[in-house]
Amino acid sequence: MKKLILALILGFTSFFVVGQTGTVSGKVIDGEFNDVLAFANVIVKNTTNGTTTDFDGVYSIELAVGTYTLVYSFVGYQTKEISDVIVESGKNSTINVTLNVSQLDEVVVRTTARKNTESAVLSFQKNSVNLLDGLSIETMQKTGANDIASAVKNVPGVSVQGGKFVYVRGLGDRYTKSILNGVDVPGLDPDRNTLQLDIFPTRILDNIIVIKSATADQPADFTGGVVDIVTKDIPASAQYSLSLGLGYNSDFHFKDNYLVDQRSKTDFLGFDDGLRDNPIPTAQEIPLPQQNGEVVEILTRRFEKNLAAQREKSLMDVNFSATAGNQYAIGDNRLGFLASISYRNETQYYDEYIDGQVWRLDDQDPSVFELRPDRTQTGEVGNNNVLISGLAGLSYKTENSKYRLNILHIQNGESEASIFRQVNQVNNSNEIKKDNLIYTQRSITNALLSGKHSIGEDGDWTIEWKLSPTLGIIDDKDFRVTPFRVFIDSETGEEVYSIEPSESGDASRFYRNLQEINLAGKLGIDKKHKLFGYDAKVKFGGAYTYKQREFSIDQFAFPILNVPSNAYGGDPNQVLADENIYDADTNSGTFVRRDSNISDTFDSEITVAAGYISEEFKVSSWLNAILGVRFEKFDLIYTGRNQTGDIFDNATILDKADFFPSANLIFNLNEDEDMKIRTSYSRTTARPSFKEASLAEIFDPISSSFFIGNIDLQPTYIDNLDLRLEKYGEEGDFFAISGFYKSFTDPIELSFIRGATGQFTPLNLGDATVFGGELELRKNLGFIHGLDNFSLNANLSVIESQQEYSEDERASRLDNLRVGETLDDNRQLQGQSPYLINLGINFDDEDHGWQAGLFYNAQGKTLQIVGSEDIPDVFTLPFHNVKLNLSKSFGEDRNQRISLRFDNILDDDIESVYESFGAQDQLFSKWNPGQRISLGYSINF
Amino acid sequence: MKKFYLPFIAIAFALVAASCSSDDGGAIIPTDDTGTPAVDVRLVGQITSDKTLTSDVIWELEGRVTVTNGATLTIEPGTIIKAFAGTGANASTLIIARGAKINAVGTASAPIIFTSIADNIAIGQISGSNLDENDRGLWGGVLVLGNARVSLDGNATEAQIEGIPASDINGRYGGNDDADNSGSLAYVSIRHGGALIGEGNEINGLTLGGVGTGTSISNIEVVGNVDDGIEFFGGSVNANNLLVWAQGDDGLDIDQAYSGTIDNAVVALGDISDHALEIDGPEGSLEGMFTITNLTLIGNSNTENGEYADYRDGAMGVTKNVLARNFKSESDVELDNNGVAQNFIDGKLSFENWVVDVNPANAIFVEKTGEGENKIIVNPDFTERAASWSSTGNSGGATMSAFSWTYAASRGAL
Repeated sequence: MKKLILALILGFTSFFVVGQTGTVSGKVIDGEFNDVLAFANVIVKNTTNGTTTDFDGVYSIELAVGTYTLVYSFVGYQTKEISDVIVESGKNSTINVTLNVSQLDEVVVRTTARKNTESAVLSFQKNSVNLLDGLSIETMQKTGANDIASAVKNVPGVSVQGGKFVYVRGLGDRYTKSILNGVDVPGLDPDRNTLQLDIFPTRILDNIIVIKSATADQPADFTGGVVDIVTKDIPASAQYSLSLGLGYNSDFHFKDNYLVDQRSKTDFLGFDDGLRDNPIPTAQEIPLPQQNGEVVEILTRRFEKNLAAQREKSLMDVNFSATAGNQYAIGDNRLGFLASISYRNETQYYDEYIDGQVWRLDDQDPSVFELRPDRTQTGEVGNNNVLISGLAGLSYKTENSKYRLNILHIQNGESEASIFRQVNQVNNSNEIKKDNLIYTQRSITNALLSGKHSIGEDGDWTIEWKLSPTLGIIDDKDFRVTPFRVFIDSETGEEVYSIEPSESGDASRFYRNLQEINLAGKLGIDKKHKLFGYDAKVKFGGAYTYKQREFSIDQFAFPILNVPSNAYGGDPNQVLADENIYDADTNSGTFVRRDSNISDTFDSEITVAAGYISEEFKVSSWLNAILGVRFEKFDLIYTGRNQTGDIFDNATILDKADFFPSANLIFNLNEDEDMKIRTSYSRTTARPSFKEASLAEIFDPISSSFFIGNIDLQPTYIDNLDLRLEKYGEEGDFFAISGFYKSFTDPIELSFIRGATGQFTPLNLGDATVFGGELELRKNLGFIHGLDNFSLNANLSVIESQQEYSEDERASRLDNLRVGETLDDNRQLQGQSPYLINLGINFDDEDHGWQAGLFYNAQGKTLQIVGSEDIPDVFTLPFHNVKLNLSKSFGEDRNQRISLRFDNILDDDIESVYESFGAQDQLFSKWNPGQRISLGYSINF
Repeated sequence: MKKFYLPFIAIAFALVAASCSSDDGGAIIPTDDTGTPAVDVRLVGQITSDKTLTSDVIWELEGRVTVTNGATLTIEPGTIIKAFAGTGANASTLIIARGAKINAVGTASAPIIFTSIADNIAIGQISGSNLDENDRGLWGGVLVLGNARVSLDGNATEAQIEGIPASDINGRYGGNDDADNSGSLAYVSIRHGGALIGEGNEINGLTLGGVGTGTSISNIEVVGNVDDGIEFFGGSVNANNLLVWAQGDDGLDIDQAYSGTIDNAVVALGDISDHALEIDGPEGSLEGMFTITNLTLIGNSNTENGEYADYRDGAMGVTKNVLARNFKSESDVELDNNGVAQNFIDGKLSFENWVVDVNPANAIFVEKTGEGENKIIVNPDFTERAASWSSTGNSGGATMSAFSWTYAASRGAL
């Protein structure tokens, strides 16, 4: 009976849809080169209906609802037949196809649409001459990742530090380059060379490609990998979507004691409305109160008075996004547009956040193993992060050319309020209570204008150019720290609070601004030709990048003159209360003092001019070779000064011209070219950052450390060797095993300075080597009966790194050995994880619209802080992250989706410890990120 | 002086009013910068060859001024040096680097005075009229660095002195020459200094880092410094007739196994002072014993802390012939933890002849413990044992007549 009803319903449904149409579209890829195949034929079998791909390899056919077989062909290439292509009303099916060169006249590869699950990304990976791993938007959606930083963790050998910075093969951000649509963009951290990825929402992405071996057309300044963030291209058909999401974390949300800074009216939009502006111009001289009390009073009153972290109820996480895109025919040409906007608002509250603790070795007696506490520090932290991004793109396609204009703006505001208790026992002896208020506003505005032209009768010339200006701004607005020393009153037993500059410092605040302008231009020319009787391709071109960064700090302190601060009862807001501000008549009260220095500020420029040529050719039917060389001219121009009187005014401090050769060989082990061995050699470089190659002497009040620039710093050069065996199967199956070896000359690391505790400077250390292996497996479990809809995704990297010590470090380590301890010749690289694991099981039931995934991710114990003197090394312990995603598509054409996601199922802590020979590990930091449940809904129409 | 400011204040208010009416809340207020000083009296940067500061002009110290290896800075009796404000790496400091010498020998009637640019003191005066001992942190301080041995964290043999970034190698101190000679300091008064140089870290009035016995230090006064009055970082120099008044932190501070003798010294606490004495031990395995003798400590009832002395972290040496008076009733002389208590048991830390104005005198001596520690001086305990070296009274300590030349004496602080 039920079957009958079902049949009736189906019958009615088909009755209604008769006469309606859908589309099939996709890309045809040239298996010979990692390129698209233009002018390939796409024909509906047994009909005259068909089309050809455009010069971008893209095709689209409109067909009546039904099931079809499509035939893809091109002269000199094999023919591919894909059957069971289902066309549904008003819906687009995507079919991407790779055609390989055929030596025989007539080779037809037959498969079904269902088995042809090859995504554009995987075929790009398969056919690439570089060693690379890709992550498509579909995969990102499966893992439920919200931003790139959490998505990219699923790529083999990739880890993410602090939720923001990508490490490829465990090599830090210094050796990992992040680029947007193939061009440089400014990083959004004054201390880093690279871009933080948590501010890119996945909604705006098409895919992420992680390139691990260099070719001449890639920039030379990467070693671990290049992470190329590719934003959405113009859709093949009309596409509108909306999505909404909610996230709940029982540890963070709806807590009454959540800590928060006073909000400005626009905080919820990711920027400050001026509430936190610095009220004192940089040129304002601030006299001592003893010199000009009246002026000091006026200046002090200008500051915003709120210094205390306030309590209120925390709200849950929300996000939404909307996208719209379509394509229109204008004569023979096509115009497409894409617009996307997304909003994310996340709240975190930690009721026990341990950070920045200090444990020391016994200096006098090396037979004492256990560490002794110097500083313990525990607090509560409330954090609110707002992210808005907007993307707008236009593209115009003619028969032989494509133009694209893309504008992207990302706006991020992060507000944090915390109260910490610090107990000092060795270097100082006191207890301190600190209220910290932090607001950081970041933005990136990027425009990309690009063009691609196919020239020549057979389209054998391809010219591609890109122009991309970017403005990056980070405003650390009004970081406020108010420290009170805590006493126990011996009579009442109650706590008494006072501000004591010599113990805890004065109340202080700073404003830090970084602006970076990047102008990037690129021109690449490809020419197909014949060599040794095979098709070959020569690539040549050039690139020019100009970066300019300005960095400044305005720092102020608020000493209290002739007033006992214990009357304030530990309330930070009393410090700048109207009645407590300096009064010249009584010569008492809180006054402002400027604490920033001339050496805090700098202005640098970098230019990189590059040219390259490479040849991609076949030596025999089974060996592809790509040989190339890149030339880069790098200049760093610096303006700044230090205290000892050195002044640099637009001085060129680095001027390097280098050749970077690269060779990639690809051995095809069978005719289908689905099993390959890749080997590659390349020479790359790692250059000092703006801040490192400077005279800057910058005190960081957050970490209480002092950074000293090194104007003599030289670039690092790296020789890279890679070997990989890979096997591509049906239904997206993939297996790869790889090994790599990297040798570093003059690697740069932030090093401590002996005898100057808390001061750090970047140095060219002794040589280093890094080598390791990676294993990757993607396997459909259909070979086990009943597991048709399951697939396994696993990757594992094991990495050994060896870094020689600097002179100071070796001496310091030798002087602090415990009895029975010996010093190794080298140590692991800072930030280098010894292993990385990603495991995932996916369930994908297309028939019923169910998708599920269970994922595990961990990285090995990593050297986080290199120990100095009597303070041992700090290691980050593995964080065992297990998460589960569940989603169901439903509605008309399955255009709606509900998803549910559980994070940190094991409820693991994020933890770092001091490790020392023979001693129990002691905490450096520890917090619990809680367990988050997210619910999402999306609709396409 | 007030009238002189009036026009500037008027302009300032006008500007503030103007700036309030616009959106820009950050208009610049012109300040009275005390006139344009003659360039030739301003000391800046490095002094790399011998130089003499004469007493006929007021010298100005701007930023980090360093006398480098091989050079001698001579300062005539009666010379006044006024330092500019500034913090961190900008703090105005006078550094006598290793291998350099200072020859600053004043007289009781013509002392050499280091003070702030805000001080209205004129040539020939002992003090100005606009500042008092509670005006602190207006400039940096004086640092003398030498080649004598220092006991350092991690057993390093030299270190960077607090407050000078390691990029400036003239901030290094410590070495192997205990007899090192950094010159002479006599009848020198250092006032209103102690600029911030890091979190909870300010420059001391007079910092002596690894200074050797060849150096002569006598008749020194430090008034109104934010941090410690005089701090000895290791070294072996002997010093006599030292006076510290109204410092923000500790009066005399000893670290890193200082092994010299301090003879005839006074610490007079102010309204926000911490300990009169803060004595730490070696940081590395090198040990060294200090001697403090003929010492008067004067307490203050307003200060939140105001302890007599804190012996910390493995301190070793002897403190004898002490008179202490006017401290708060809860003030104490404490052994901070087991490490220093063990030194007392082992005889490495000792006390002789303490006279205090409380009864019983030994009650001020207490043993404290670190986290998870138990007291180790037992049967009799530390307080009981203190009865053998302490007595109640009002005599002894330093010879006060040696300090009649000081600013502190002129303000009745002694």
